[in-house]
Amino acid sequence: MSANFNGPITLLIAALGGEGGGVLADWILDVAESAGFPAQSTSIPGVAQRTGATTYYIEIYPERAESLAAPPVFALTPSPGDVDIMVASELIEAGRAMQNGYISRERTTLIASTHRIYAIAEKGAMGDGRYEAERVIEAGKGLAKRAVMADMAALARTNGTVISAVLFGAIAGSGALPVSRETCESAIARSGKGVEASLRGFAAGFAAAMGAPTTPAANAAAAPPEIDRVRRAFPVETHGVLEAGVARLIDYQDAAYAKTYLDRLEPILALDSGAGHRLISETGRHLALWMSYEDVIRVADLKTRESRLQRVRREVGARPDQLVQVVEFLKPGVDEFCSVLPGFLARPARTLARRFGLEARLNIGLKIKTTSIGGFLLLKGLSALRRVRRIGSRYAEEQAAIERWLAAIKGAAVGDPELALEIVECARLVKGYGETHRRGLGNFTAIFENLVEADAALADRKGAIRAARAAALRDPDGKALDTAIAAARAGGLATEAGTAAAGA
Amino acid sequence: MERSFKKEVATLRLRQGEVFHGEGILAVTKALLQSGVSYVGGYQGAPVSHLMDVLADASEVLDELGVHFEAAANEAGAAAMLGASINYPMRGAVTWKSVVGTNVASDALSNLSSAGVRGGALVIIGEDYGEGASVIQERSHAFAMKSQMWLLDPRPNLPKIVDMVEHGFALSEASNTPVMLELRIRACHVHGSFVCKDNRAPALSRNRVIAAPEFDYGRVCLPPSTYAQEKHKIEVRWPAAVKYIRENRLNESFSGRLDDIGIVVQGGLYNAVMRALSQLGLADAFGASQVPLYVMNVTYPLIPDELAGFCAGKRAVLVVEEGQPAYIEDALNAILRKADLNTTVVGKTVLPMAGEYTGEVVLAGVARFVEGAVPRGLDLAPIIAAYDRLMAPKKKAAELLGEPMPARPPGFCVGCPERPVFSAMKIVEKDVGAFHVSADIGCHTFSTLPPFNIGNTVLGYGLGLASAAAVAPAFGDKRVVSVMGDGGFWHNGLTSGIASAVFNRDDGVLMIMKNGYTSATGAQHIPSSGSNALNQPSDMGIERTLKGLGVQWLKVVRSYHVAEMARTLRQALTTKQKGLKVIVAEGECQLERQRRVRPQNAKKLQAGERLAITRFGVDEDVCTGDHSCIRLSGCPSLTIKPNPDPLRQDPVARVDHNCLGCGLCGEVAHAAVLCPSFYRAEIVHNPKPFELWLDRLRRAVIGRLRGRARVAQAADLA
Repeated sequence: MSANFNGPITLLIAALGGEGGGVLADWILDVAESAGFPAQSTSIPGVAQRTGATTYYIEIYPERAESLAAPPVFALTPSPGDVDIMVASELIEAGRAMQNGYISRERTTLIASTHRIYAIAEKGAMGDGRYEAERVIEAGKGLAKRAVMADMAALARTNGTVISAVLFGAIAGSGALPVSRETCESAIARSGKGVEASLRGFAAGFAAAMGAPTTPAANAAAAPPEIDRVRRAFPVETHGVLEAGVARLIDYQDAAYAKTYLDRLEPILALDSGAGHRLISETGRHLALWMSYEDVIRVADLKTRESRLQRVRREVGARPDQLVQVVEFLKPGVDEFCSVLPGFLARPARTLARRFGLEARLNIGLKIKTTSIGGFLLLKGLSALRRVRRIGSRYAEEQAAIERWLAAIKGAAVGDPELALEIVECARLVKGYGETHRRGLGNFTAIFENLVEADAALADRKGAIRAARAAALRDPDGKALDTAIAAARAGGLATEAGTAAAGA
Repeated sequence: MERSFKKEVATLRLRQGEVFHGEGILAVTKALLQSGVSYVGGYQGAPVSHLMDVLADASEVLDELGVHFEAAANEAGAAAMLGASINYPMRGAVTWKSVVGTNVASDALSNLSSAGVRGGALVIIGEDYGEGASVIQERSHAFAMKSQMWLLDPRPNLPKIVDMVEHGFALSEASNTPVMLELRIRACHVHGSFVCKDNRAPALSRNRVIAAPEFDYGRVCLPPSTYAQEKHKIEVRWPAAVKYIRENRLNESFSGRLDDIGIVVQGGLYNAVMRALSQLGLADAFGASQVPLYVMNVTYPLIPDELAGFCAGKRAVLVVEEGQPAYIEDALNAILRKADLNTTVVGKTVLPMAGEYTGEVVLAGVARFVEGAVPRGLDLAPIIAAYDRLMAPKKKAAELLGEPMPARPPGFCVGCPERPVFSAMKIVEKDVGAFHVSADIGCHTFSTLPPFNIGNTVLGYGLGLASAAAVAPAFGDKRVVSVMGDGGFWHNGLTSGIASAVFNRDDGVLMIMKNGYTSATGAQHIPSSGSNALNQPSDMGIERTLKGLGVQWLKVVRSYHVAEMARTLRQALTTKQKGLKVIVAEGECQLERQRRVRPQNAKKLQAGERLAITRFGVDEDVCTGDHSCIRLSGCPSLTIKPNPDPLRQDPVARVDHNCLGCGLCGEVAHAAVLCPSFYRAEIVHNPKPFELWLDRLRRAVIGRLRGRARVAQAADLA
């Protein structure tokens, strides 16, 4: 802005539908009007109200109206480089404001909550589609004149109010508005609804802007039990993962199963010469997850633990004097039944089901109340099948697949540790239940047969596997994966192009 | 209705000299009463819904004045209401969302404009263009030109908007022509103030009735009257309008130091131009500009001698005109040519042809214009520097952030009854293969966005079924599915879609979303809501209407029953029975339901009564982070969190505290055979003594059983 233009104070609020952004705008407008300052607010509700991102824009001329010769001309839209106070109720919305040029070194006080409300593209990704939050926080510090960034959603929760009250407090606390704390608080009092809670939230936001620490301590992972063998035989960098793996497998099956786990890892240790022992720790991580594959026994076990009911109560916010009844949604089918039967029974049963087209149709939708005695007994009974898990057909199949995977890793590790690592990562595709598991296993097998075990000379086997893995996580129909595999096999050249085409 | 306007209604009673504080569209409502309207009508839609909503709540004020208010069935109906002003000196106003509403209304508007009016007729249009718009991007300007109605586009501050409403009626009467008043989205929602006048009771109204009907064949739209009417438009009405606009100085001219250039701007964009000039150091904050301005509060008709007078002696003028085609810029070129002036007209060469003229866009255009025009006595260097300084943060942010932020498209609300219908469609699609879906306008249009991506075409409100008429036969035996909301059904889908399909013996599937209101526009009532806008009862059921029209295959399914919905849809797609198959997906708009249920629940809790609340959740250790459930739902409360398992990296699903317990998560987990991570928790507040006793018993028994199991497990490990 040029020096001769003493313009209004401009304030932009970026919020999500239903967060009370309109209430916040009303408070600010009220504060300005009660101070006798000319002010104007605009918004674009409409469909944005329905869960999308929306903005409210306010201009305040910080002099009493009667002292001005003419009323100021207020703009209806914000302009880049011309925002004094940028308020974002969520981190990505702050990032969006940055990209629109609303945060400048010369002028802008940035007030942003650092919590995340994930966008649909981030949530729906088949793996991890989250935007890197740290980058936005760093950019905010680099761009703003002053940045007040804290988890204001958490502050709202602990004070039993909504985020708009906390944001209002942070605006007042930042000193960017030429009005007193009391003026702001009386605007809240005038609005008349949930006043006390709002004032608490306001105070928390005010304190946050004054620099009070708000970052909660990172929650430390539960300490795994000591396993001597891990400590003795494996490098120190891998202890965290392997101990967690061992603990998991004892919890999943028994100590003997954990021993098998380490037996499988030891030969790879000999082949892992890389710095940081990434091959062993990544193999260890995926192997523990694969060996603790999800089956009905595991699900029943997890759902009948005492700690689980406590967690449910916590998650749904039940107070001690309230009753909580929990109902599970299970739909076991042919696959699930066959998986606990021995192979010689499971195979013909599956064949029969397939012949009559019943494979996907025999699923029985069960709603089981784990807080009732009958429901609990049913699940507890299922979880007791743990002892005979090893004779089930699924067990045999999974162990065979694991051995095949390990063999490929070992084979590759001799000449090319990087390639071995790519093969390790493919295990990430196999997860979940029912349809999800079938799809993941299908993708894994397709990559294995076409790219890992194929004799054909591939120009860049590592790149091809990596691209195919990314493609497998791109769409549930497998179209991207087919394209990627075809691209890699057709001359094995343009894997990059294959990825690009698959993504288009 | 989504909002109660009881508080705002009080502002409609403000007297002479009192100050109104509030929203632009409510200021217009007050201005209508100050202008002595006899009747007001319209059809809801952002950004003008509030005009309708506040009047629906203001029946007392309206009764006192004798003003008739009607929520019309659609915009054509609303426009036809203005017919009252053809024969009788009654002022009336109607409103809708434009350009779509004007499209629907245009048949009536053409006839109205041809007949001409005696009483002032005003159409308030909410121009849904640019950021935040939800409809196709066109200008309403063309409608004014083709029907010769006058178009007002006031500077977006409340006193000016109110003033132009009042002038609008006077202009309409002075020129026997209906007048359109255009307000952009942000102008409708702008909060400001103005000094009121007293409301005026109309001379003719429900309270003071018309003595005798008037017959004048000259006002009937049939030949030869229509020929005479066209001539009258050109020879009498147009000159009368130009005279009124000129004499009352509806357009404003502001002089400035740099008088060899100038800016011609639509009134609605005046503030954006002023801000751009201020930012470049060419104006102060109070409207004093170094560049002369001609502000068109009336954008049709143009006043040629005013424009020629403004341009005379200037080397170049900038036309700031939003949208396309550039009617004003083209007309100005013609005017200058006829006046033999060689002022250069700059417009769409420095400003974009399409899209909203936001602050950023106007700033860039004005900067480029000034830079190119090089006005006498102006040093350009500080102007260029100011522009570069403003744009610097955007560049720097791009460097720091890299890839763009993930988009946040609007979607179905938490617990929306329409979401499960599309979850069911996704599931059926997996079985029978992809099918063509002819979508409609309404909240359900969100199905076209992620995660569903369902809906191949959108042709207009209520036209979901009609737009399947030609494409369905082209798919042969594979049936096409059409979607229609209950809002669209009553707006016109009943005739344009269903009557036509039954009449023509079309074979297809229609899904009607019966959520009870026009939810997307703010939950206004429709004939099947059970009562009208004034809360008088109505008894007009959709199912009975369908049967009356001869629909043979009709199923009503609760929309939350995903499995049943999937089964019914599969049946509709595969049955041998020919003809239209209608599924009514029944489930009340959750926003509206919560508005009713929440206070009731709060009251129960306060009274210490038993209350069971349902919530859904995900077991974090059972979830494997595939997110299929999210792709089949998209519920805002179904989200993700970092994986608590140190061995896993993909985030796990989680249900946040906004969950309303609609049950879709569980239904989808079942219907799609997804995964066993979901649980339903019923939280009982103020439980009864028997429940408490039973709970204690159960916990004791389960604790025992668990204890024994634990011992056995320990033995296993030993």
